[in-house]
Amino acid sequence: MNEAAEAAVRPSRWKEIWEIALRNKLTLTGFAIVALVVLVGLLAPVLAPYDPNEMNIPARLQAPGAEHLFGTDEMGRDILSRVMYGARISIAVGVIIVAVSAAIGIVLGSLSGYFGGRADQAVLAVTDMILAFPSMVLALALTAAMGPGLLNTMLAVIIVRIPMYTRLMRGQVLVAKEQQYVRAARTFGEKPFWIVVRHIVPNCLTPLMVQMTLGIGDAILIASSMSFIGLGAQPPTPEWGAMISTARIYAIDQWWYAAFPGLSILITIMGFNLIGDGIRDILDPRSRK
Amino acid sequence: MEPILQIRHLSLSLPVKKGMVSILHDVSLDVAPGQILGLVGESGSGKSMTAFAVTRLLPGGGHEKLGGSIRFCGEELTEKSEKDMQAIRGRDISMIFQEPMTCLNPVFTIGRQMTDVIMTHQKISRAEAMKKAEDMLASVHIRQAADVLRCYPYELSGGMRQRVMIGIALSCRPKLLIADEPTTALDVTVQAKILYLIREACRRLGTAVIFISHDLGVISQICDTVAVMYSGHIVEAGKAADVFETPEHPYTRALMAAVPKFTVSAAAGDRLFAIPGIVPDPSEAMAGCRFAPRCPFATEICRTAPPSDTLTGAGHLVYCHNWQSAAPAIGVLRGKEAEA
Repeated sequence: MNEAAEAAVRPSRWKEIWEIALRNKLTLTGFAIVALVVLVGLLAPVLAPYDPNEMNIPARLQAPGAEHLFGTDEMGRDILSRVMYGARISIAVGVIIVAVSAAIGIVLGSLSGYFGGRADQAVLAVTDMILAFPSMVLALALTAAMGPGLLNTMLAVIIVRIPMYTRLMRGQVLVAKEQQYVRAARTFGEKPFWIVVRHIVPNCLTPLMVQMTLGIGDAILIASSMSFIGLGAQPPTPEWGAMISTARIYAIDQWWYAAFPGLSILITIMGFNLIGDGIRDILDPRSRK
Repeated sequence: MEPILQIRHLSLSLPVKKGMVSILHDVSLDVAPGQILGLVGESGSGKSMTAFAVTRLLPGGGHEKLGGSIRFCGEELTEKSEKDMQAIRGRDISMIFQEPMTCLNPVFTIGRQMTDVIMTHQKISRAEAMKKAEDMLASVHIRQAADVLRCYPYELSGGMRQRVMIGIALSCRPKLLIADEPTTALDVTVQAKILYLIREACRRLGTAVIFISHDLGVISQICDTVAVMYSGHIVEAGKAADVFETPEHPYTRALMAAVPKFTVSAAAGDRLFAIPGIVPDPSEAMAGCRFAPRCPFATEICRTAPPSDTLTGAGHLVYCHNWQSAAPAIGVLRGKEAEA
């Protein structure tokens, strides 16, 4: 009976995951991008050369140069500094939206999947209703109803995103609850609540993780779009979408104004998507050797 | 000895798309402390359903109909609420399953899962529970128990996992252990060890065991008493020695005839014996004995009246109209099949 000794010698699961991650250059790039954006956001007060809201009218709409690496906007504010502070907002917005909507979705999905019955029908009906709308249009309508502002936008996006996690979780739970270890837990007298928390939820989370990483990128994009339309973050908040919105009229002559916030959005979302794809590959048993 | 579990006239109907289907009919069983009852039968004979009825973990979503009586430690289980049953499961009645590979939660260590079960039923700290779990693993003959507690299920072999499952099932010293084909998925050498382990634990802790299997060899090795089930009925029951020495019911005899013999170079054309026909659909109504359509000894009465229990020896019950006239030798069965 040397299984225990054998097990100790075998490489751990984390090591294995790390090795797969190393093989996948794109995932690493994704991690690097996101790490960079998060770092820049966190260290914005230290890194930014100027105050993001400090106006300097004589230096307005300057092209990128030694003084202002990314140029200045119509108020003479330093675009590099604003983009750096924008990273803070975007990352926070993306993470909060995903965290809240996924948390609610996971709870709703596991309850409705495990217990079924009328509550399940009700949850399904509501999620179907929300999913029937294009998410952007619904978020727009909700924000318009609640009034413009970053907080209301986030709330609207959260509401739009909840059904996605609910459906995904519910499907996972339906599979997991038929597993032998769930039946075994019931025969050992474990309480239904603990069965859900200990045995079902942890075994359902892997696809949720993929969805959540991809979701952060999406959430950032929707929130920026809402700001671009004018419903989200309001000036002078250095939010990327809001910056592009103001930059529209200068787009032809002062290309840098819209380009840098736009590139930031592009790169950030790409980073999260690369990570999401990478996690999916890592979790896919077929990608293992 | 006073039986710890007394099942009397248990009947069970499960909801299906159109109405209800009777799964169990008039099942009566006794299990005494420290004894092993073997429940034998083909797939779909109702062995597992009997076990699930005892633990009340039935696949009917609460719409199943349970009749008769299940007395456990002097208490009537059929009248218990779900909450009471939760307290009984794991503490007084525990269960192990056929597939040890999938019975453990893959995301937690063995130690965590064992302590979770122990702490569900006993108000003790995680550290104390861990100590108990280690003792329990040692008692199911796992060496380096402390190391195994830190392992994840995927790091253990099938035999090890079944030991762990037995360890979990016995961790609260239940009075009754239901083993649902616990060795079917294991290879033969491991199987023998697990059987020995269950028997030893049952004797040491005084646990009563219901051992469900379709494998007569396994049943004959470890069981004290045997009940043979067919299509939701008990057809024969008694001491294991009696039932295997002098099987009285044609179905029991046919089952024994169907056990493959370990002979070298069987002559060409010497086929394995199979009972002709298939197990009747549970929804199919039958006036008489449910085995009659497949029984080589069936007479008119078998098709019209259900057989009642007949005592053929001390505690040896058989449910057959023709048990005396049915030829006792298995060879006759084989002959009958050759004719067909």
